[in-house]
Amino acid sequence: MTGKTSERSESGVSRRAVLSGIAKAAALGVFAPAVIDSARAAAGKIDLGGYAGPTLTSEPVTLRFMRQDFTPDVNALLEKAYAEFKASFPNITVVEEKVPYGDLQKKMLVYVASNDAPDIMMGRTDFADAYHAGKMALPLQDYLSKAFVEDIPANLRSAASSGGSLYCSPWETSVMLLYFNRDMWAKAGLKTPPEVDTLEGGWTDEEFIAQLEDLNGKLKAAGDTKSWALAAAGQGNGGPGANYSQLESIWIRSQGDPTAPKSSSTYKTLAGISDDGRSVTGYIDTPEAIKGMRYYQSLFSKGLTPLGPVPNQFPGGLAATYFGGLNFTNRFRVPGMEPPFKWGVSPPPKGKIVFNGNGSDAPLVWAKSKHPAEAAALLAFLCNDTNRLAFHKAWGSMPSRTSLRKAMSEFATEQPFKLASALSDASYSVPRTPGYFDYFNAMNPAVKDIALGADPAKVLPDTAAKIDRLLVKYK
Amino acid sequence: MRAVRVIAPAGRRSGWNGDAVLASAMVLPAVVALAMFQFLPLVTAVLNSLQSFGPFDRSSTGWVGLDNYRELFADPAFRYALLNTFLYIVLMLGFTIPLALLLAVLLDRRLPGSTFARNAIIGALAASEAVTALIWNQMYEPSSGLFNAILDAVSLPTQPFLTSGGQALVSIVVMSVWKDVGLPMLIFLAGLQSIPRELPEAAELDGADARQIFWYVTLPALRPSLVVALFMMTITATRMFTPILIMTQGGPQGATTNLALFSYLQGFEFQSPGTASASVVCMLVVLALVTAAQSFLLRGREAD
Repeated sequence: MTGKTSERSESGVSRRAVLSGIAKAAALGVFAPAVIDSARAAAGKIDLGGYAGPTLTSEPVTLRFMRQDFTPDVNALLEKAYAEFKASFPNITVVEEKVPYGDLQKKMLVYVASNDAPDIMMGRTDFADAYHAGKMALPLQDYLSKAFVEDIPANLRSAASSGGSLYCSPWETSVMLLYFNRDMWAKAGLKTPPEVDTLEGGWTDEEFIAQLEDLNGKLKAAGDTKSWALAAAGQGNGGPGANYSQLESIWIRSQGDPTAPKSSSTYKTLAGISDDGRSVTGYIDTPEAIKGMRYYQSLFSKGLTPLGPVPNQFPGGLAATYFGGLNFTNRFRVPGMEPPFKWGVSPPPKGKIVFNGNGSDAPLVWAKSKHPAEAAALLAFLCNDTNRLAFHKAWGSMPSRTSLRKAMSEFATEQPFKLASALSDASYSVPRTPGYFDYFNAMNPAVKDIALGADPAKVLPDTAAKIDRLLVKYK
Repeated sequence: MRAVRVIAPAGRRSGWNGDAVLASAMVLPAVVALAMFQFLPLVTAVLNSLQSFGPFDRSSTGWVGLDNYRELFADPAFRYALLNTFLYIVLMLGFTIPLALLLAVLLDRRLPGSTFARNAIIGALAASEAVTALIWNQMYEPSSGLFNAILDAVSLPTQPFLTSGGQALVSIVVMSVWKDVGLPMLIFLAGLQSIPRELPEAAELDGADARQIFWYVTLPALRPSLVVALFMMTITATRMFTPILIMTQGGPQGATTNLALFSYLQGFEFQSPGTASASVVCMLVVLALVTAAQSFLLRGREAD
């Protein structure tokens, strides 16, 4: 009794227990790599997708991932994926930082400037040239298999690349479809927009605006003062100037023509910037661009769409048309989440061409990551077929790899998906410049000013001069 | 007592006595805090305004002298922002100071409902700037906002409060006046309550009416409070930022952009820390000039 008492400390912990704990800890330290390897073996080989980099370390590693916040079901999918990854690589811990979507790129620049950026950051293909010029991202082709990289459609792969290297891995594909509320058009006694599955056969700009005017007049005449012909933009912060890359650039760049001579203003209108990525005067202020912006302005001046953001206008049944991504199609098909009206899909209005910008979310690995292989492996794992298909099913966006589109039968059979595929195949990247962040931030308010009544013939040249000044620092 | 008399001069000779050390020690934290959080950023801003920076890592790429300032003054958007900054100051002072004085005088009379009114005004002052801006944004909304609903109810045309170049700046000022009037009001209220009651009573006995008492007794006695209120509101108006960013993002066509927002845009939207710093320095110069002018004018009156 006395002996036992003498073995215990005042806190009641026995010396034997302490020594045993130390021994176990030492054993764990010695055998940790073996334990991790056996855990990997027990968990089986997880599918690292297109990962083709070096063998991952067995040292303890913490990977930081900065991304936007998704809906709870999508967040849960990602968390489940981290857990799977952790089960196979117990030494690798994933720590997330969720940032409001609109702040992602700004936050990335601040992090890079601080020299303490997360290992993986959600970027955009729009900024591939900036990631290259600023040495911000790792060239991913060094870590991904050739087959995986080539599975990304060529135009999207080109958008995510700069100087021949892939700097970010497209997470999804951006398409902009014209949704319409079938009931509202029927109520007005008008024909709905053409439901085609190719780029041909949709409305032109003139037809689109004339039809919306007609609809608006009939709705108002029937005493419907709450409904709008075109819903307020839901991208970015909403309203005009919400997102030039994906939405408003349609009005300018669709007036361009890729087959026109390179020196023509028609070609330059589509390009949006000079070949060296340093000058936009003569590209965004051409007569064609001004004409496109006048169409855009008329949507507001004719009272066809609200001047400010109005959340959920189209899903709420308060607008006849809406420019939205494929996620609306997927969302509207989920039982219990159908909108309170019948709906359809048409291509965006055509200028000289039907324009679709393919700027998409695309995670990257920070160039100065201390664990580049592990970060690339996690990214590849998140981009494997299983995880991507689960993501697209939950989030509703369009896959960024050809094989995944083939695996989803709806892309071969259903009109909205076939149309989305056609738009994606013919899509264009944002104007190529390392200063696209400045370009984008200067164009958005200019577009908003035009929507509010400013003359495009003055605003566009002024904005072009401003962007030219801003791009000087990228020389 | 004698010992103290002997020790104190000895301390003065050496430059350090116990009181001086204690005083220095007490002042030191404030000096360090001021140096770190006020003067160091100021010096850094001035130095940064004379350099150029890489757009990606924001590291200095060298000294450029006054190039950032030359670039700024060549930019019409900067000149517009400078003008708007003065407009904000003039409008904020023009609306806030008289309104705050009126409210303070009314509250000082302890009329029925004074407590509720005081709490409501202080409540607005305490509210988050961002939340207030979001709520007012909704109220200004053209199709479903409160103000246009009221105009509609009395058959007046809908107003583009935040989307018209002519109205947006004033609309932001109105919101800011509503939010910030509490601070100068409290300053005036404290000033009013420190005026000896004998002064207006004596004036009344001398035959002065209420208006004369206010102009010739109360208002002059409030001059110190007025000086403080003017300084505080000038600073508030000059650095106005959140409501502009949330309600108009500086538009339409730069009509509501002031120097604070312009500097932010240069630094964080257009990757130009050098130009942003130059703009901040200009903003500080504007603030210094305006407060110096106020100081000069009000000191002159005191001397009179």
